[in-house]
Amino acid sequence: MPRSVHITVPPLSYEAMVKLLRIPKTRQKQLRAMMDEARARLAAEKLNSTSVTSAQEEKLDNASAAS
Amino acid sequence: MPPPPVNPNAVFLNIPYDEEFQSLYLAYIVGIYQLRLVPFITSGIPGGERRLDRILALIQSCRYSIHDLSRVEVSAAPPATPRFNMPLELGLTIAWAKLRPKRHTWFLWESTARRINKSASDLDGTDPLIHGGTVEGVLSQLRNAFLRDDAPTFQTMMEAYRLVESNQERILAAAGTRDLYSANVFRDLSFAAFDAAGGSNPAGGP
Repeated sequence: MPRSVHITVPPLSYEAMVKLLRIPKTRQKQLRAMMDEARARLAAEKLNSTSVTSAQEEKLDNASAAS
Repeated sequence: MPPPPVNPNAVFLNIPYDEEFQSLYLAYIVGIYQLRLVPFITSGIPGGERRLDRILALIQSCRYSIHDLSRVEVSAAPPATPRFNMPLELGLTIAWAKLRPKRHTWFLWESTARRINKSASDLDGTDPLIHGGTVEGVLSQLRNAFLRDDAPTFQTMMEAYRLVESNQERILAAAGTRDLYSANVFRDLSFAAFDAAGGSNPAGGP
């Protein structure tokens, strides 16, 4: 058993992939929509946590400046 | 009967189908798609005497295989019985790879370094990839096993994992099952992982 292999084969195309998965067009659409929603949700969460962290940092800076 | 043609992108996943393994199963699916390869499992292959023939044909059609023996243990439910399916499929694979070394490459995975010496001492000298029983471990070792010049970063792979995981419940609900390993759920998870790898993007492809 090798520790690793170097992969050089090109990836499968979208068409080849859906043929392989035998996934109906309607389900493809649903899943893509689901994934887009999840992307938007995760991006919003990330943005939110970044702004919360910045606000906390600002608060700490102000507190240390005041003391 | 001649063996089936080899799919150069295909990775046969020999894993336990149990609840404790679900997050690692998802990590394997997502990670393999991130590396522009395609995972296959035995889910959907019906039981009966032809099942083993079909499993062998599936192994033969895959260029690579991953054998995760981290959960080869005695079942807790009586009668206490060791789980033999994964070592059995590993045995089939090793024999096939010995016969046709250019057609198949296999990898052994474990959770801890020395477990394999105890569970299958005939494999002494084989250096398993150790994932530590974590999603991070699986993704990082996949990057070590399958080297690609255009491989995504570990962080990108983790983000893709979170993305697919966030849709897991909806995929299960749509399939009307709690079984993450069922054929329909595997198909949907695969498509989601392919999409997370940029596969659904008609402009660039994965």
